[in-house]
Amino acid sequence: MTETKAPMVNRRDVLTGAGGAAAVGAVAVAVPASEAKAAAKAPRWAMVMDLRACIGCRACTVACKAENDVSLGRFRTVVQEKTWGTFPETKKRFLPIMCNHCAGNEKDKVPPCVTACPEYPGERRKWTIPSGEKIRYRHGATYKRPDGLILIDKELCIGCGKCLDACPYGVRSFDPFVKAGKDPTEQAADKCDMCAHRVDNGVEPACVNTCQGRARIFGDLNDPESEVSMLVKEHNLATPDYVLLHEEGTNPHVFYLDPDGVMKTVYKQREKGKLDHYVDQIP
Amino acid sequence: MTRLDRRNFMKLAGASSAALAAGAGASGQALAGTADIPSKEASGIDFSPTTGKQLEAIPSACWQCVTRDSIIGHVEDGRLRKIEGNPNSIRTLGKLCARGQAGVNQVYFPDRILYPLQRVGKRGEHKWKRISWDEALDTIAAKLKELRDAGTPELFMYQYGRHKASQAATMYDFMAAYGTKTIGNHTSVCEAGKWVGQESLWGGMYDNWDYDNTDFVVIFGSNNFEAHTNHIPTAQRLIRAKVQRNVPVYTFDVRLTNTAAMSTEWVPINVGHDGLVMLAMCNVIMNEGLFRKDHFKFMRVTKDYKASVDDRIAAVTSQVAAFTPEFAEEQSGVPADKIRQIARDFAKANSACLVTYRGTVMHYHGADQERAAMLLAAITNNLDRAGGRVMGVGAGWKHPSSPVAEVHKSLNINDGFPGEAAYPTHHVSHQVWPMIKDGSHGRPKVYWWSCYNPAFINGDNNGVAAIMADESIVPFQICTTIVYDESSQYADIILPDVTYLERWDWEDMVSANQIAEFYIRQPLVKPLGEARCQGDVWPELAKRIGFELAYSSKEDFVRQSCEMTPGVKGAGGFEYMKKHGVWHDPNAKPNYGFYEATVDTSGDGVILDDETGVYWNWKKSGAKDEAEAKSVGYLKTPGAKKGYVAQDIDGTAYLAYPPNTKFVKAGYLDFYSDNFAEKGLPAFPTYTPIPEHTKKADDELILTTYKTAVHTHSRTTHCKWLSEIKHDNPAWINSKTAAERGIKDGDAIKVTNGTGEIATTAYVTEGIIPGIIAISHSLGRQQSGVYGSGKASPTPGGGAADPDAKNKWWDKHGVHPNVLMANWSDPISGTMRWMDNVVRVAKA
Repeated sequence: MTETKAPMVNRRDVLTGAGGAAAVGAVAVAVPASEAKAAAKAPRWAMVMDLRACIGCRACTVACKAENDVSLGRFRTVVQEKTWGTFPETKKRFLPIMCNHCAGNEKDKVPPCVTACPEYPGERRKWTIPSGEKIRYRHGATYKRPDGLILIDKELCIGCGKCLDACPYGVRSFDPFVKAGKDPTEQAADKCDMCAHRVDNGVEPACVNTCQGRARIFGDLNDPESEVSMLVKEHNLATPDYVLLHEEGTNPHVFYLDPDGVMKTVYKQREKGKLDHYVDQIP
Repeated sequence: MTRLDRRNFMKLAGASSAALAAGAGASGQALAGTADIPSKEASGIDFSPTTGKQLEAIPSACWQCVTRDSIIGHVEDGRLRKIEGNPNSIRTLGKLCARGQAGVNQVYFPDRILYPLQRVGKRGEHKWKRISWDEALDTIAAKLKELRDAGTPELFMYQYGRHKASQAATMYDFMAAYGTKTIGNHTSVCEAGKWVGQESLWGGMYDNWDYDNTDFVVIFGSNNFEAHTNHIPTAQRLIRAKVQRNVPVYTFDVRLTNTAAMSTEWVPINVGHDGLVMLAMCNVIMNEGLFRKDHFKFMRVTKDYKASVDDRIAAVTSQVAAFTPEFAEEQSGVPADKIRQIARDFAKANSACLVTYRGTVMHYHGADQERAAMLLAAITNNLDRAGGRVMGVGAGWKHPSSPVAEVHKSLNINDGFPGEAAYPTHHVSHQVWPMIKDGSHGRPKVYWWSCYNPAFINGDNNGVAAIMADESIVPFQICTTIVYDESSQYADIILPDVTYLERWDWEDMVSANQIAEFYIRQPLVKPLGEARCQGDVWPELAKRIGFELAYSSKEDFVRQSCEMTPGVKGAGGFEYMKKHGVWHDPNAKPNYGFYEATVDTSGDGVILDDETGVYWNWKKSGAKDEAEAKSVGYLKTPGAKKGYVAQDIDGTAYLAYPPNTKFVKAGYLDFYSDNFAEKGLPAFPTYTPIPEHTKKADDELILTTYKTAVHTHSRTTHCKWLSEIKHDNPAWINSKTAAERGIKDGDAIKVTNGTGEIATTAYVTEGIIPGIIAISHSLGRQQSGVYGSGKASPTPGGGAADPDAKNKWWDKHGVHPNVLMANWSDPISGTMRWMDNVVRVAKA
């Protein structure tokens, strides 16, 4: 990667704390105090993967399978591993990957999977933040919730598979056990939802809960005191070198704490139309 | 390798059935927390991803491997949904590995055996009929009663693989009440050499590594980040030490394991040379004056018990003089400069952990390699010091005991053939079946095994299978199991075991922080089908044979134990444990340096032994009177070690290292061992080349095996989430070694030796030393149900259908390397020489 431009950070992020960490070269615009106050109470969930601490144990992969009863033949998160170098100077490292819960580019404000969804933008919905205030957002079969999570509404899904193709990371699959709500001849799309059913109850995602090395750190980028905010700031992670496929302009919110440059060495991208890269295998 | 393109997803989609989930992401839901994640209050709970309901959280304990983590089971409407670590456990700190996470699969895999079965065809014909528990128990009770009434209870043999804590205690209790001591284990294929090496020295066993406090770590032949006997408690502390405190970690291994990969440096080493490199490190440390004097007064390094510390230092220096780094480089392949650097850093570190495991000990004289490790730790004063190699601390439970039978005896088939092993203190389990076949030491008439698969886990496992299949050798065979496997296929009666998630136990595994944790296992769900816990079967069987046990069920046994065990009882006993799962003494402190405690020797009957300087109580030794005790002496009085009180060192009576195991010794670390010398074994740790390796032809390779992060040796292949990740086990081979044989990555290869032959594929890699191949030993299942072996078990009844089975996408199930392993034993410990086999490898 040659460009040095920072990942795009949406306006709310910039204005509510994560901006301090992530606003490298981003536009700082004054906004009314009331909007900033409301925004400050809305979380922006994100994950930091500390690649110094991932020991390739696959507890996250299996915890995710169990938590979400993910069928065989597909994954919601995997660990990629790679061995390189010549004996005896051989290296091996690990790279956990999952949905990046992208913020999307400046223009779209949503990632390509949402843009690709024929059911998006659907109806306007309101989402209540802890303060009781409501934030409006556009729903869809794939949509971005105001807390940044990219979610799937399987009742609205038509099983067209456009989101599977649109995701540059290839982290989506069809769930063989769930019919597409709007077209029962098809199966619904599925992917990591950051364990929204846990997060919404104040419990961290299943993959984070079981991570031995604390290589997975989950939290609120809009809270400057959160561990993810502090790590992003301290290690300058909101930069192209520490997110996957920055050049796609998706603005990922999974950051890699990676002083050794493991991410780029290990990462195996999807091949078009295939998901082989997203099958967790130990050689 | 995989076939997960979009077309396949579409196909699967078309073929699937319903089980509809509600739409995720409904609007209008308030966030319960923001920056509080992770919060203490919010751990240990879980919610259904489909209904959003909070799940019932029940504390229990894992059993996928011997680590036995404390867990929380999350249950919805009587079905186990999820397992997590118990956040209140001081051992696991709420973490769980991939195997533990897949525990759900143990309960619900489709081939699970759920009813008692009786063989109706010939052994191995796979013909079974379902019978009732009454029929099964009546049949078994009749056979056992006959042997007992005839005064030959020892002709009933029981053998187990993974039994620990109350699962073992209830079994041993029943067997003692019945009258048989013919009880086999599995430890010689596991780690016996490590135990024997340690027992001969510090009288205890099972070291732990104080990663939380250490400044330096050196690992030999141990894959702490993927497997290990105390995986979760130790691995997380090790990676934390490395990342958060920049603790250097050096891993010597033949293979680039995950542990080696995540270490500061992987140091490749030739097979069987761990002890030599450790002795070379000792050589550097002694010659350069980097040793610490502190521990020498507790070390015996020559015949002379009363040598001065200076004499001891001189003796150790001289004993290791031959093992120069240059000599070690020649043999081990580790550069001399590297040995020097690591030795110096190890010795200079404020504290340092020396870790060893199967790679070190599963060899010819493997027990002696462990003794070399203890020497390195001792001369740097890292034995049982904060941050060092410390003696493991586990929970000490009290439990009820039943009256022991009047006739209580054993067949002598547990310790190998005569002369095979000098100190088989953990038995020679891999020779049990060969000895049964041999017959000259007696044969059991009834053989019952549980949580054990001898026809898979032992050397020459096909040979074991042939003996088990022969009805003329052992006429009646009973297997308690959850899965149809390589051994249960030769049973006459199969009893459906509960999974560990359906039963009661108290547990006691070693802590990583030197503070004992008491914890229990309780059923997360009702046993499926007619599965029954062994601990519930024993009282029932005893009644049918005609005796009573001190407990009526496993739950009763655990309840009584909780009310008998002081700390647990004080905390609230059984009810407290059911609610919390774990208990530790909040005032407990790590007991570092226990050997430095001074001891009062004024008690009645305590005398000082002139030769050794041991204070011992002759009244507890079985000696006739004081005069006899004095004249025979401490070392020669049978039972004297029961009376051990203290070791006199320069006029002070120290607790030192009491002989708490089968070895008779003084209170010193016995680096000079009379026990070993008497049997013609090295009295002081040394380097003994492995005979088969020195005789090996140039074109032969050494075979090694290993575990991955997602499997145990033999009990996880039917777990779909684990086999999905690891179901094939191509042989690791270095690119040079492969090229010499014209082998390319993915090529079919043939691996042969005098014991057996396998066909597999090559994984050509730079992550292994030249001259060997490495094959994971968890796979290659002949029987293990559809997920493990690719074919459904031929047993009637079985578990409920798993709709996910039709999504199984892999058709490879690996090969089993044990067919290439001879049942050779370490002449010291009787441990199976797992890593000594030599093979020929050729392109198929």
